[in-house]
Amino acid sequence: MVIVMESKLLALFQLCDSNFPTGAFSHSYGLESYIQENTVHNSETFSQWLQVYIDEQLIYSDGLASHLVYQALEEDDLARVWKLDRLLTVQNLPRETREGSQRMGERMLELVQSLYDAPVLAIYRKRISAKQSFGHPAIVFTMTAHDIGVPKLTTVLFYLYSVVSSIVQNAVRGIPLGQTAGQKILHDIQPVLIAAVEKIGQMDEEDFGIVSPGIELSQMRHERVNIRIFMS
Amino acid sequence: MKDWTGVLHLEAEERKGKTVAKNVYFQGAFKVMRPIYHDNSGQACYYLLNPGGGYLDGDRYQMKVSLGENARMTLTTLGATKIYKTPKRYAYQESEITLQAGSYLEFIPDPLIAYQNAKYKQKNVIRMDKTATFLYSDIITPGWSPEGDHFSYETIQLLNEIYIDDELVVYDHIKLKPSQQNLRGLGFMEGYSHLGSMLVVGTQSDSSLLDQLYLAIEMNTNDYKVGLSSLPVPGFTIRVFANSTQVIEKIFSDIHRMISEEWFSRKPSFLRKY
Repeated sequence: MVIVMESKLLALFQLCDSNFPTGAFSHSYGLESYIQENTVHNSETFSQWLQVYIDEQLIYSDGLASHLVYQALEEDDLARVWKLDRLLTVQNLPRETREGSQRMGERMLELVQSLYDAPVLAIYRKRISAKQSFGHPAIVFTMTAHDIGVPKLTTVLFYLYSVVSSIVQNAVRGIPLGQTAGQKILHDIQPVLIAAVEKIGQMDEEDFGIVSPGIELSQMRHERVNIRIFMS
Repeated sequence: MKDWTGVLHLEAEERKGKTVAKNVYFQGAFKVMRPIYHDNSGQACYYLLNPGGGYLDGDRYQMKVSLGENARMTLTTLGATKIYKTPKRYAYQESEITLQAGSYLEFIPDPLIAYQNAKYKQKNVIRMDKTATFLYSDIITPGWSPEGDHFSYETIQLLNEIYIDDELVVYDHIKLKPSQQNLRGLGFMEGYSHLGSMLVVGTQSDSSLLDQLYLAIEMNTNDYKVGLSSLPVPGFTIRVFANSTQVIEKIFSDIHRMISEEWFSRKPSFLRKY
């Protein structure tokens, strides 16, 4: 029995698991501001928020970055990977989400390095320690998936899923929603993620970093939220 | 890509405490007026104008502004930037700004008004020395249509890239597509109609300045919604939603005044235009 691809996918599943300790459970990406202002208060309003977050922010930043990083790795063009690491960081204008992504990136890098010895991971970590690069989970995830041998579209799709599944978990705790409602949202969002990967495939670098003004503003406002359960 | 509708090159330097033009060149539908010195600080104020009155289908504008060491300049427009309908090709403007050591540029254009079916793309690239200071703001209005409908333009895309000593440090990208997005809705403008953005980069900026701004801006209001945050380099960014240009202009001019007083012990001049 040849189950090569299955074993690769299984390896990638581990990274998508919300138990994989990258710290994603403590970031709401501005959602907490909406919860406090009561504009997101049930599964309907949360689903609406999530769709905008995916279609208007996530695909242009993390999603497109994952796609472009994978391409660069295919072409062995590391300079381009480092350029994307910088772009991803400096386009993230709200300080909390920017610093949160850096911390998650570093944490994830440390973890996957103890599981895989892809040379590119070591180079990335060295650059981060030398303050030449910033660190971002989308890049660490893509590097790992590429090293394992998972195809590009699957990599981008699974990365988006990993981000979305932790946000849904956070919404379940933060709004709060029932566990079943959370799983229902995670089920219903799957076609949106598939469509997102298709959109990303048709983009180029000119589309990079487009933000949804409302979500970005709420990520900025989160800095002054008084009582909080999330770091962003 | 060379056929510009309007080109403007402005190079300024500091001479004996006064900022003066070293080279000025303009061609086509882009002009700059003679500088005005609003006070005795030596800071020059230049007004940009578009003799055609607005941007038309496929129009392409290029501006290059460069400030020598310690030069100080205000750059503004004489009126709103109007984008008329662009049935074939989007209107485009690119600006390249170079700021040498110790120089200061405040670039405060009037609001952007995009008419029905207009497409507009704007790209600002700022290359600055780490000791230079840059202040920028823009305001996107909901546009204009004969029926008075809001958001009847097709796209507005604004891109700001800031480099310090050749390293990209800020990348600010907004693209509004009212036909495909619920612009007033959740995640976009949250019920408001006008979007203002401000970027300030300068070594004097620190977290205590941000605290001061938070104190100065009333956050608890329904007239507008504002978010502020520190950039990865000394400096900060602000986004404001409101229902009128004036509300955003008031917030930005208050912040501008605080910064000018704090950093340069100077009151910014009222930019008289009408």
